[in-house]
Amino acid sequence: MGRYRAIRQYRPSERPGQPLDLFSGKATRSDMVEELLKSPWIIRGSQAVRGALGAGKRREEPVDVVWDGAKRAPVAFERNGRRYRVEALVQTWSVERAWWDPRTRTSRRCFRVFARGGLYDLAFDLTEDRWLLIGIVD
Amino acid sequence: MAGFVHLHVHSHFSFMDGAAAIDDLVGRAAQYGMPALAVTDHQGLYGAVRFYKAAKHAGIRPIVGAEIVVEPAGLLGEEGGQPPKRRLPIPPSAGFGRASAQGFHLTLLVKDRQGYANLCTLLSRMHLGRTQRLSIAGLDDLARCSEGIIGLSGCPYGEAGAAVLAGQPARAERALRVLAQCFAPGDFYVELMDLLVPESPPYVGTLAALAQRLGLPIVATNDVHYVEKRDFRLHDVLSAAAARTGLPGPYERQNAELWLKPASEMRRLFARLPEACDATLEIAERCDLDLGLGTLRFPSIEVPRGETPYSVLVKAAWSGLEKRYRPLTPAAVARLERELAAIQQMGFAEYFLVVKDIVDFARSRGIRATGRGSAGDSIIAYALGITDADPIRYDLLFERFLNPARRQMPDIDIDFDSRRRDEVVAYIYRRFGDDHVAVVATVQTMGVRSAVRTAARALGFSPREVDQLSRNLPWASASRLREVLASYPECRGHPLHDQERYGLIVELAEELDGCPMHLGTHLGGFVVTKEPVWCWTPLQVAGKGIAVSQHDKDDIEALGLVKMDILGLRMHSAISDALALARARVGADEVPEPFDLRPDDPAVYEMIAAGDTVGVFQLESSGQRNLATRLKQRDFSDIIAAISLFRPGPLEAEMITPFIRRRHGIEPVEVPHPAMAEVLRDSYGVILYQEQVLRVANAVAGFSLAEADLLRRAMTKDRSRAEMEALRERFVDHAVERGTPRIVAEEVFRQIQGFAAYGFCKAHAACFAVISYASAWLKRYFPAEFACAILNNEPMGFYTPRTVLNDARRHGVAVLPPHVNRSEATYSVEDGGRAIRVGLKDVCGITCRTLHAITHERARRPFLDLADFLRRTRPEIQEAESLIRVGALDGLGITDAGRPPTRDEMLAMLPELKATIAHDRSTSDDVLLIAPGKARAAECPDHPSGWSLARRLSAELEILGLSISCHPLELAEIDLDRRGVTRACELADLEDRSHIRVVGLRERAQTPPTRSGKRTCFLTLEDATGLLDVVVFEDVLQATGDVIVANRAYLVEGTLQNNPERGLAIVAERIEPYVVSADDGAPVRLRRGVPAGPIGPHRGTAGAPEDDAAPSAIRHHG
Repeated sequence: MGRYRAIRQYRPSERPGQPLDLFSGKATRSDMVEELLKSPWIIRGSQAVRGALGAGKRREEPVDVVWDGAKRAPVAFERNGRRYRVEALVQTWSVERAWWDPRTRTSRRCFRVFARGGLYDLAFDLTEDRWLLIGIVD
Repeated sequence: MAGFVHLHVHSHFSFMDGAAAIDDLVGRAAQYGMPALAVTDHQGLYGAVRFYKAAKHAGIRPIVGAEIVVEPAGLLGEEGGQPPKRRLPIPPSAGFGRASAQGFHLTLLVKDRQGYANLCTLLSRMHLGRTQRLSIAGLDDLARCSEGIIGLSGCPYGEAGAAVLAGQPARAERALRVLAQCFAPGDFYVELMDLLVPESPPYVGTLAALAQRLGLPIVATNDVHYVEKRDFRLHDVLSAAAARTGLPGPYERQNAELWLKPASEMRRLFARLPEACDATLEIAERCDLDLGLGTLRFPSIEVPRGETPYSVLVKAAWSGLEKRYRPLTPAAVARLERELAAIQQMGFAEYFLVVKDIVDFARSRGIRATGRGSAGDSIIAYALGITDADPIRYDLLFERFLNPARRQMPDIDIDFDSRRRDEVVAYIYRRFGDDHVAVVATVQTMGVRSAVRTAARALGFSPREVDQLSRNLPWASASRLREVLASYPECRGHPLHDQERYGLIVELAEELDGCPMHLGTHLGGFVVTKEPVWCWTPLQVAGKGIAVSQHDKDDIEALGLVKMDILGLRMHSAISDALALARARVGADEVPEPFDLRPDDPAVYEMIAAGDTVGVFQLESSGQRNLATRLKQRDFSDIIAAISLFRPGPLEAEMITPFIRRRHGIEPVEVPHPAMAEVLRDSYGVILYQEQVLRVANAVAGFSLAEADLLRRAMTKDRSRAEMEALRERFVDHAVERGTPRIVAEEVFRQIQGFAAYGFCKAHAACFAVISYASAWLKRYFPAEFACAILNNEPMGFYTPRTVLNDARRHGVAVLPPHVNRSEATYSVEDGGRAIRVGLKDVCGITCRTLHAITHERARRPFLDLADFLRRTRPEIQEAESLIRVGALDGLGITDAGRPPTRDEMLAMLPELKATIAHDRSTSDDVLLIAPGKARAAECPDHPSGWSLARRLSAELEILGLSISCHPLELAEIDLDRRGVTRACELADLEDRSHIRVVGLRERAQTPPTRSGKRTCFLTLEDATGLLDVVVFEDVLQATGDVIVANRAYLVEGTLQNNPERGLAIVAERIEPYVVSADDGAPVRLRRGVPAGPIGPHRGTAGAPEDDAAPSAIRHHG
């Protein structure tokens, strides 16, 4: 969340040039960021580069995911020994490609989640029956 | 508010872009508890009526609609005029045909009857080219026709959606604003689709925001293309095949989310916009279309001032009756009165007048016309000249045709001389107005071959491989592909057995079974309406340039519109031709009109009873010939019986055997009730005709004929056990009340129940029998003219032209080869009716221009030699080569050797001669002196051709499809004798159960359905002396099916069946290929003249009644 921390507000009543935090705390900040991420009018820097999924860092690494059946969404995942609690589910999409070719077939349900101040793309691969981290977007 | 209604749904009728059957869609929506469902197929209402019926039946509200292509709305000028970066992506072609890439998608939903008519009108204007661009709706047309219609802004290929995806929200806004102006306030919604692709959130969010800014309501849809998620593969395959691309197809879909999702799923997708889901329910409430199914809508017909349609009909019927019955009988008078009263009560007078009007026109122009089907049950139809079988004489019941207790649109099918059918059609358009007539559509669905081809093409196999995969597959349902491959012997060794390479094709092909591919035109169905036809059904242009309805005959019937079947019957043309030839030879007065003859000539019946019926209408198939030898027809009612017995129903119910046994006294005629003995006298106690079911119910249970017809109809449909039990109780109670013992009544009901579904409409058979007798009479007395007429009207009938010609030869008619100085374009009769000259039209590859040139030049003077022929007719070199090879130039000219050139010499000279003539451009009659080319020595110096008989025959078979010089097997006489082969003409004299060996050329191989479900092949072969009927039972078929498919001539060993009960046939035990060669070893090439390939479907449906197999009804003889 480093970049967002740099968002400052100018208050004329205060001392000129004195920066203030935009958000009073983590709870208020998350809601706002989540709202902004879902807004159709906001285009993130990574998205401006190429493709609808944005540039970010695309990868395919297996991860352990804690799944919430009621919400039908991941609630946490573990990566490099660190546990990431999913603060918000930003977007879901599904991928079904090359079904006619067993070698290249892709069948995934993807989740873009907001966790630890970053955006992560998780995917459940239906052909291999496992979770993957397929991207770190922002 | 909970719940959801899908408003953007594509069924199978989004041809090649929808993978959802209507029944499945409706069933699933009902299962979800959805109150309504829309079907919005591409560019039409093809499936609207059946969807409407299915939804009503399932208790959900049908919302009829369509997804159309509309011209750009958010743009001034053309899309192409935009800078490349500003152009929106082009919608793929799948499902939209020629309209693709020219506009954007828009979803329309019908609110009411006015909206339905407007949508039909809009679609018709689009497809008939009355808008600026073909199949594209103009905005002004849209605005003009939008009353009663709700518009949704469309999928991502709608203009607004495409503009949002392209990052042009301003254009999207303009498009939405303009489109909204085309509809009444509140009738245009912004359509939101969350298809679970990465672009979805900004797409939905942007459109929702635009809608808010413009004050437009939003609605959520899912662009449904399949019912279950797993069916996405079919959608990909279909759309890829439609766009002629390989997978992933034109849409390059990223996922499989276009399925019919439940309300909860849709609500979850649009959790942030619940009002979009609520709007689906509101729209469903507003759409309340009543198509008024069940109301009959007749076209208007003008009647003289002071008259009504009924009064005109009455006068015409009485006048006709007087002509038909001389003297008038009380029975006829009473019958006519009863029928007229029924027609007045049901209000069908206009319908009869319309049919009469058309038939009268045909008669006035000398066009043969006969009614068929259950209309033959009506004395009014007989009196008006629509049908030709006397309903009183043949005990035909009006209630089978029109049941006063069940008001249903009457259906009269009429067969016209096929060559002049277009004149009748033109008259109908003139008479009722172009705007009130349209051709009825048919829906072409996938069978096994098309399913395999579709799947293979989509999976990217080469065209050559696709051909190999679909070749030699039998006629079967695609859903049985695996079973067919495993069990059909002819599929042994088929490439599709390679599971690793083609397993997916087989899997997909099975799932594609029955999927509609495209719209076709009905062979003879026309819809005639009072209002302009596009008020009821959208029209589009068919291949021939005619306007075709988007609805098929069942839909038209459901809408209560009048459908006329104006069928073309080639037998009528053949009869007319044969009569003309006969009258030209012996004089017009010497040859009576065969339809006017009393059907009682013993010589004709003798011929039919001998199975000598090649070419005779309805009696010529191998099964009918076999039946004739068992039945031994004696009178007209026997012809009716024969036509009725050899039908899928009676065959399946195995009625033939008891009928024959009882007829010949082999078993006694036993009926459970004495009244049945009288009713079933004609059919020896077998319930053969549908009319007899009515009579039995009337005689035993005292049902009125109308009630009895209801009982028959109830029995012919699938009924639950409880419903059938209720019918049984009612019948038995009525019979018991009339003094019939309960046990007898129950037995009678059991018999009716067993046969009602299999019986045949006697009126239909009687109508056909009239034509059968006429054709048999012509064959009996004018065999050359009859065969000539049949050959001139090919393709028709059961046999190849080669067999028809050979049959004529067996009747003593000489067959003369084609010759440029003697042949006409068509076959002609020579030598006082003792010879047929083969026409030049059958020469493979010959053009109309050359045919015309030959006959025109020959009229000036005969051709002298090859050079003269080439100079005066200028044929293509292939045409000249074919004519030489087939002997059409034999005997022309003279060589240095003082004899005409041989065919080899002419073929050697041909290139140089042709080049010289072309170079000189000479049109004078100067003699060209060309040194003969180097040709091989004559094989047969005695014959002017110089060719051996085997070579001549091979050329005839290849180029003409005929064997003129001799029958191919005549060349192999020595070999046949050596093998101990029995000839066809000898079979009748052999003992039953003799073990025999025969050799024949394949004429037809069929596998009709049998009651046991076992596959039996009926193989019709021909040798030099006649036809051979071979029965191949399943065990032998398993062993030899591949031999049958791959060859054209066979040696068959088996047991002869020769008894009155079973007729004459050979039961095969072993079949092996036979190579026909001359005694000197020269092989005869049989290709083109002798068929090969897969074992065909059964052909018993020809002329079946309208409720059995109407679409295929004229395939046989039409």
